[in-house]
Amino acid sequence: MPLPKFDYLRPQTTEELAATLAEHGADAKLFAGGTDLIVVMRDKLVRPKYVIDIKGIEELRELSWDERRGLTIGAAVTLSELIASEVVRERFGALWKAAGTLADPTIRNRATLVGNICNASPAADTAPALLVLWAEVEIVSANGKRVIPIREFFKGVKRTALEQGEFVRAVRVPNPPEGAKEDYLKWGRTRGEDLAVVGVAGLVANSGKKLVRIALSSVAPTPLIVPEVEGVFKGGGSVEGQIDKAASIVVEKISPISDVRAGKEYRLHMAGVLTKQILKRILGAS
Amino acid sequence: MKKYSYVGKGVPRIDAFEKVTGTAQYTADLRLPGMLYTKLLKSPHAHARIIRIDTSEAEKLLGVRAILTGKEVPYKFGIYMQDKETLAQKKVHHVGEPVVAVAADTEEIAEQAVELIKVEYEELPAVFDQRDAMKEGAPLVHERLHEYKHAPFIFPKPHTNIANHFKLRKGDVERGFKEADVIVENEFYQPQVQNVQMETHTSIGQWLPNGQINIWTSAQSPFAVRHLLSVGLGVPIHKINVVVPYLGGGFGGKAGLHWEPLVVLLSRKAGGRPVRLVMTREEQFNTTAVRQGFYARVKTGVKRDGKIVAEELLFLWDAGAYADYGVNITRAAGYSCTGPYEIPNVKCDSITVYTNHPYGTAYRGFGHPEFHFATERQMDLVARAIGMDPVEFRLKNAALPGRITATGEKLREDAGRVDECIKVVVEAIGWGKKEPKQVGGKLRGKGIAALWKAPAMPSYTSSSAILKLNEDGTVTLSIGSIEMGQGTPTALAQMVAEELQMPIEKVKVVTKRETDFSPYTWQTVASRGLFMEGNATLDAVRKLKEQVRETAAELFGVPKEELVVAEEKVFVPGKPDKSMPLAKLATAGIFPDGRGIGGPVLGYGMYTAEGLTNLDPETGQGLPALMWTFGAQGAEVEVDSETGEVRVLKMVSAFDIGKSINPVLLKGQVYGGIVQGIGSALMEEFIFNEKGALLNNNLTDYKICRAQDIPDEFVFIPIENPQRNAPYGVRGVGEHVRISVEPAIANAIYDATGVDLFEIPMNRERVWRALKQRGEKVASA
Amino acid sequence: MSRHEISLTVNGERYELEVEANRTLLQLLREDLELTGTKQACERGDCGLCTVLLDGVPTKSCLVLAVEVDGREVTTVEGLSRGEELTPVQRAFIEQGAVQCGFCTPAFILAGEALLKHNPRPTEEEVKEAVGGILCRCTGYRQIIDAILDASKSAKK
Repeated sequence: MPLPKFDYLRPQTTEELAATLAEHGADAKLFAGGTDLIVVMRDKLVRPKYVIDIKGIEELRELSWDERRGLTIGAAVTLSELIASEVVRERFGALWKAAGTLADPTIRNRATLVGNICNASPAADTAPALLVLWAEVEIVSANGKRVIPIREFFKGVKRTALEQGEFVRAVRVPNPPEGAKEDYLKWGRTRGEDLAVVGVAGLVANSGKKLVRIALSSVAPTPLIVPEVEGVFKGGGSVEGQIDKAASIVVEKISPISDVRAGKEYRLHMAGVLTKQILKRILGAS
Repeated sequence: MKKYSYVGKGVPRIDAFEKVTGTAQYTADLRLPGMLYTKLLKSPHAHARIIRIDTSEAEKLLGVRAILTGKEVPYKFGIYMQDKETLAQKKVHHVGEPVVAVAADTEEIAEQAVELIKVEYEELPAVFDQRDAMKEGAPLVHERLHEYKHAPFIFPKPHTNIANHFKLRKGDVERGFKEADVIVENEFYQPQVQNVQMETHTSIGQWLPNGQINIWTSAQSPFAVRHLLSVGLGVPIHKINVVVPYLGGGFGGKAGLHWEPLVVLLSRKAGGRPVRLVMTREEQFNTTAVRQGFYARVKTGVKRDGKIVAEELLFLWDAGAYADYGVNITRAAGYSCTGPYEIPNVKCDSITVYTNHPYGTAYRGFGHPEFHFATERQMDLVARAIGMDPVEFRLKNAALPGRITATGEKLREDAGRVDECIKVVVEAIGWGKKEPKQVGGKLRGKGIAALWKAPAMPSYTSSSAILKLNEDGTVTLSIGSIEMGQGTPTALAQMVAEELQMPIEKVKVVTKRETDFSPYTWQTVASRGLFMEGNATLDAVRKLKEQVRETAAELFGVPKEELVVAEEKVFVPGKPDKSMPLAKLATAGIFPDGRGIGGPVLGYGMYTAEGLTNLDPETGQGLPALMWTFGAQGAEVEVDSETGEVRVLKMVSAFDIGKSINPVLLKGQVYGGIVQGIGSALMEEFIFNEKGALLNNNLTDYKICRAQDIPDEFVFIPIENPQRNAPYGVRGVGEHVRISVEPAIANAIYDATGVDLFEIPMNRERVWRALKQRGEKVASA
Repeated sequence: MSRHEISLTVNGERYELEVEANRTLLQLLREDLELTGTKQACERGDCGLCTVLLDGVPTKSCLVLAVEVDGREVTTVEGLSRGEELTPVQRAFIEQGAVQCGFCTPAFILAGEALLKHNPRPTEEEVKEAVGGILCRCTGYRQIIDAILDASKSAKK
């Protein structure tokens, strides 16, 4: 099946990209890994006049880390590159794990993390990890630059905070707090590669007393963090009791739908199961 | 046991080199001069009248060479029921049915043209469940069913949605149920699923102005394509030539006729240019054929001692919009309905029902995986009701040699042994062994299921083979049966090498099938290939040897009975001067003075199924089975009650295959079939919306097994009780390998959890739901 | 629609051609270069039958634009063997019975080749992961996995 017709553009700098977007924004689609874009073009769900390939821009290939700023993941960095990075594996475990659950290695050789969040699927595999890691999104346009928390980036099914003419230059992930533990669990329909029926990322720091974050995918119009979980662990009581409470809060706060992949009831159930599993793991409870 | 040089050895498949180097050609790899490309406009409605089709804008597009609508092609096709329209004529019968076809210089132009075509529909009430479709006043999918031509053994009911009603009556079920101590009745359900061959349906057609029709197609049955096209179009059969290159998987879904009429009709309209159609994956799901949905009600009467005395079965098949193979699947499942057991009183009604779903066709097992899910689950449920071990219960009722099947056939002494299969599976799965039920918080269980199947085919089905002796002494075998991965040509090459005692490297099997040149065979279906083409091949070897001996006898001046053909020579044993390489006889025998005798050596072999009869239309009594292949399968599963996940730890299978010709290829059939079975057991299903549109028409959401989804362990135990009239004693097994995977797993899930499942797929969500419901019941009790 | 001049190396041969923007690498290989060993079976990244090596990296060619491969190196199944001499992976596929209908075989072989290049002694789980994006309906995968494991052993001998 041939793809609809379009012009292919390949800017070499972010300035050039910003200018191109300023000119063609409404009719253009950014093209990084293409693993989502080419499929929706083939299905004629989108018919851009311009496809702007960002892989020629050296600056967007940045994958760097330093003690102060944390991790920077440029828009053209593939998931395979991310997974291959020692620093990501050692310091950003939930993100590393989530990246490794997205599709299969041949897709990850092309797909990018920024593409995954810009596609804004409720099931985005890397989103829950970025949410618990307090990631920020660096947005650039011809008019300048702004940085927003990832929490504010997802606006609805397939909708983001990006305005016309804007693009994501990079995602920045601050270093997790000292002693933090994090993890990601994904539940699909099969053992083989699948989209998430539910995905849950968790992060705890300070022996589980001060900081507990849980974020999920596939259970609401956007990936979301459930801030109410935090409060559960401020009080007393057994860790097991707190975990059960946290899971029930999660189930209360999410709003999954029934679709071809799973029923609402099963998603609610699995969100609770996965939340408990992940909290047990990172809180070190049995 | 006899020692063989090639038969029984795991020789590499003869097509392997081409396939690992990417040089094997499939239909979509061919490119013909002037070829046009097809795109289809498909129905968005499940059932609607076509009011108007406007193709005027599309016609203006440069590069569009032919646009075809149903009105222009008022033909009907079908192997057993002539009901299938090439393009929807007056109304559409299911979502995805082709309404308009465009042939253009490129796929891109064809696709643009399709987008410019406007169709106006008037929606009609639709029916999606076979039980609803049988109700009085249900919308009729085919109003003119009474006018359709059909095979004599198909029994449609005019002015209803019933395309075939197969009846089986053995003994007296009413009396049987009165004798019974316990009666158990259950219902079972399965959705439509799909073959999911990796190669989608692909055809190239050319209808030349002189009436010659050329077809290159991904078909399992080139001769059936030719025949059905000839009947449907009213064209003489010798004017049609069908070529089948390598096939990228068939599994029944490419048997019979599919899109060949469409491409040749487009070609006719385009003035004879070749026209290609490659189904997209979405069309493969939506537009082309699928496996029928299935509903069963099974009522079994049993004595306390475990003897089954009566069984009443109702099978309702969701055939979708066209009957295709569905009507014969209904029949085959009907006459095999008891499974591999002797039951004195049986009543079975197996009914094909039209609905507004995609149309049903053959899928590996031909109805048997569907009904075995019902009957092999039922065996466990009945055994439980009388407190008997399910293995003992099966053995007690087993259809052993000498016993009488549901159609009144007395099983021959060489019919194969289901009891042996059951016993080795039970042993290998560790049945009854004390093992922990709970491992790491998960529940473990074991289940077994037995099976049988015979080829479903007309009583007079035949095959042929041509074996040529070449000038260098090598031989070339031609058969009509195609290579779709099952490996029959390799096994036949082994048989030829064995018979001629000739190195297998010197035996070539022609890979391409072409009806103008290849010898006739009925179809490549029904697990009958090795048996029937094998018999035809052995006959061809005999004839070739005979011709060689006749010529050599004259040259040597000895009686031909003294001559032996072996080791690439013809010779009189013990007389070194009476010996001649076969190469010297290939084109003619030559006397020392130069005179020639004999002629090019060619063996023509044939085989026609023996002893089969039609079945009585009212009772189903008769002899339908060329051979029964018996088997048993066992599953060990681990169920996570928190998530509903079922993991298959181990699958054990045994089949009485008579003789293993090539253990490596055989193992491939078994493992591959099991994994297909696990697909339909645990994940595969068509999910429709309320308007009959398929929601998962892609491989993102129609899940089939990936490498991570296979069992941890496979065990396969071949049983070799030879079949007297088969080449080397073989029986077919291509389909059997996936027949009882679903019930074995379901029985194992019960063993693990105490929960009975009556519906597939037993996916994570469904199993979780069933466990939860059981939990709620227990809590409220 | 824009057209683009590209030059690329496929199986060691250089090509210079003009492609339309909407052409995929899969279409370029199968239709323009007539390298039909690479198969098309879903065109949306699910089945993996169009897998090729792009600068040595296994990639689903239906999700790559032809214009992107300017200056790059593509290996398809046709580029593996030299005459009659097969690679250890190809040989293992034949010996283990990992080939049936053959339609998925090129993709699995390429994925196996790429895996063994950077991980010469993979575990069974690593093999499953490496081929997890490629579908096969005939073999049940067992013999494919065994073939790749077997090739990893024989290559070292």
